[in-house]
Amino acid sequence: MLTTQDKLSNYLLIEFVQRLQTGEALLKDSTENVLEVVGILKSYGIVLDAYSQNLIYIAEHQFLQFFPFFKYFNGDVSWKKLFRHIWHNRINFEYAEYCLKSMMWHGGGGLDAYLDSNEFQAIAQAVIAAKFKNNPLVNILNQLFPDALTEQLRVSAYYSGLGQFWRVMSDIFLDLSDRYDQGKITSIPEVVDLIKAGLVSNALNPITYSVKIDGKVWEIIPKSVGLTFLPDTAVPYVEAVFFRGTPFLGVVSYNAQAYQIPPDQSRFQYGALYADPLPIGSAGIPPTLLMQDMRHYLPEYLHKIYRKSRRGEDDLLIQICLSFQKSMFCVTTATILGLLPYPLDTQDISEQQANRMNLEKWMKRLQNSQLLEINK
Amino acid sequence: MLSTLIFLQLLGAAVVGFYPAALTGKLARFISLFFAIANFLWTLFLVIQFNPAASGQQLTETLPWIDALGLNYSLGIDGLSLPLLVLNGLLICLAICSSDQDIQRPKFYYSLILLLSVGVTGAFLAQNLLLFFLFYELELIPLYLLIAIWGGQKRGYAATKFLIYTAFSGIAILASFLGMVWLSGSSSFSLEDLHLSALPLTTQLLLLGGILVGFGIKIPLIPFHTWLPDAHVEASTPISVLLAGILLKLGTYGLLRFGMNLLPTAWAYLAPWLAVWAVISVLYGASCAIAQTDMKKMVAYSSVGHMGYILLAAAAATPLSVLGCVMQMVSHGLISALLFLLVGIVYKKTGSRDLEVLRGLLNPQRGLPIVGSMMILGVMASAGTPGMVGFISEFIVFRGSFPVFPVQTLLSMIGTGLTAVYFLILVNRAFFGRLSAQVMDLPPVYWSEQTPAFILALLILFFGIQPNWLIHWSQPTIAAIVHTPTLLATSSSGKDLQQNLVTPNIHIKTHQSHF
Repeated sequence: MLTTQDKLSNYLLIEFVQRLQTGEALLKDSTENVLEVVGILKSYGIVLDAYSQNLIYIAEHQFLQFFPFFKYFNGDVSWKKLFRHIWHNRINFEYAEYCLKSMMWHGGGGLDAYLDSNEFQAIAQAVIAAKFKNNPLVNILNQLFPDALTEQLRVSAYYSGLGQFWRVMSDIFLDLSDRYDQGKITSIPEVVDLIKAGLVSNALNPITYSVKIDGKVWEIIPKSVGLTFLPDTAVPYVEAVFFRGTPFLGVVSYNAQAYQIPPDQSRFQYGALYADPLPIGSAGIPPTLLMQDMRHYLPEYLHKIYRKSRRGEDDLLIQICLSFQKSMFCVTTATILGLLPYPLDTQDISEQQANRMNLEKWMKRLQNSQLLEINK
Repeated sequence: MLSTLIFLQLLGAAVVGFYPAALTGKLARFISLFFAIANFLWTLFLVIQFNPAASGQQLTETLPWIDALGLNYSLGIDGLSLPLLVLNGLLICLAICSSDQDIQRPKFYYSLILLLSVGVTGAFLAQNLLLFFLFYELELIPLYLLIAIWGGQKRGYAATKFLIYTAFSGIAILASFLGMVWLSGSSSFSLEDLHLSALPLTTQLLLLGGILVGFGIKIPLIPFHTWLPDAHVEASTPISVLLAGILLKLGTYGLLRFGMNLLPTAWAYLAPWLAVWAVISVLYGASCAIAQTDMKKMVAYSSVGHMGYILLAAAAATPLSVLGCVMQMVSHGLISALLFLLVGIVYKKTGSRDLEVLRGLLNPQRGLPIVGSMMILGVMASAGTPGMVGFISEFIVFRGSFPVFPVQTLLSMIGTGLTAVYFLILVNRAFFGRLSAQVMDLPPVYWSEQTPAFILALLILFFGIQPNWLIHWSQPTIAAIVHTPTLLATSSSGKDLQQNLVTPNIHIKTHQSHF
């Protein structure tokens, strides 16, 4: 006897695998979906631009700072900016840090492996020694607790890695928006193609990280390590933020002792693709910050769509979240297609079979996601 | 001056009802609201004219009408009726405000609401038994029609049930009134001419029995309550507001005015049984409320329970407990009106009152967060949370009743705990958690829809913090109508209480200082 779960699973496997195999996206193609996805990715691109600049600034200028009070100011501290910061009419850079911590916690990819290597340990100790050469107290503490400051540098490396990843993604999304404005993008598959092309063309971009201490440049992640954009930042990011995420406190509470949270991190399903858009706006839920940031940069055509809804823009954050989720399924489609073992249009039966198995694995992971909801 | 209250609303009903051209719902509402506000402002003017230090009837008006029947047009106001008049004035305004703009047959609807108000106002002002009865009966007709025409699916059943019950109520009251006049040999039905203390106890008990049954149906007390949940469920929101907020108070007002006040010996004799009756009402009402899944029915049963507190306090008949009666009447009027308004908004927006269906309505983006917040405030007030008027009134009721009926009072206090139980169930199911998939796409709630509830919520808080503004209007009247020495004969606590009860004014002031 088939259970509901089995039926859903079969449906996802058959329906969406077929869809992907024929070059369609996980999100169904419609004029309104295109408008929503492009519009939200435009605002996301603007926000990512700000996030990436700040992450790179923090990585390069606030590393090994014990009290980085002004880390969100990008080096430009003024009363006006301070007031704006306190008033909260600002970009919520905290969201970028939540993502960074999520990436770091789940790990994966070459960046994670490198930061656990002896090579990194050695560079880190050298950088720490250079940074605190005139500070005997910190030097003693570093001797006593050698992992503490090294861990700080690991975090800084993630700041830089995520900053570089988002730099590329921001450019892709803004390029997408420009092309849409020029009438060159008219369908969801075209959106996916453009994102995939962007990911592929930047796939081998090196991921490096260097800091300057007293005029001397220290390469914490040198180019020679061979870290690149796609496998070492993009894939771990998608894995951590889109798929796994973290259980958050909010309208839905999770009880780990009652096994509501899987003991195995790889089975986590709290990422953006699984998030319930309804709790958005409640206290203590990190994605709320991203929705609030994107709200400031929505294009007018997206506002028009939202205003047409039953509540107008009263539930703006939820509508943004729904659009954002749609757009993230487009990015996921691009990633899935980009990571297929063989070209999608291969004529070789065994390669087609391998592609299909790969797609089925992805679909199994998306079984509990919002995939069906966004396609309603 | 008092007649203005009656005739202003009568004029309003006539203007709306007999308007020569067709009226849109919006215009009809505007005109009736104009008269209702004028009436409310006039009531406030009377409050200024009222001397709170005096205990008797004030601003009296008397005109001969049908002398042969002993019926005269005699109006007056005292500390018992004044708060209820103000409450009526306010709730009529709010009920009109919360009526749908596109209601069917608006001329008829709004004229009936104003007529209803005429009946209630007249009943509170009447100083003649027959005149009271006329107004009391007058109020039934518009209420019956308001439920029968603009009610829910089973409106016919609910309205008929209401009519049958209240008809019996009227018969019992009329029989008692006639008995009071004829048996006492009074020359008229005027309250001031009635001297019933000379009647034998058995006669008094018979007369009081009629009063208890008559007004017990109206309040309603167990087992005369079954019309109320049906009427509430089928009535539209504004009518439920009026029904719970003011019309039930006619029953408790009648008990105090014509039962406790006119027949104190019989009242004192029956008081222990009345207290037991009150306990049964409180606990039964609360238990039924716990079992409900319809929000409106839950609030309706809550009314049954809360009216039991008034009976308990009236049975105790100490100055403090009777003051608690008045406070509880006003408090329940405000709180139940608020709760019914909010349930009405929830129903209007979600299409359901079913606690099995509703979930997560406090969702800040897609739910009804302000309505939910006010609902939480309302249920807290109803459960007697300090800082709100519900606490003050229940505290005075319990504090005033405890020396006379300690066991019954303690049992009634369980009802307060049960109120918290069923209202927590309501709030937890309907407002917390994730928004239900069945009611996810809710229309927005406009400020015009929320304003009446907002006003009530503010008053609940205001009188919770500053109850003296209510108390000092009623205190001298209550001190005058409470027949303390008579009660002592039947007081279960005996001589120990004498010191407290024979000095009512001091007693009140002592407790008043706490607030």
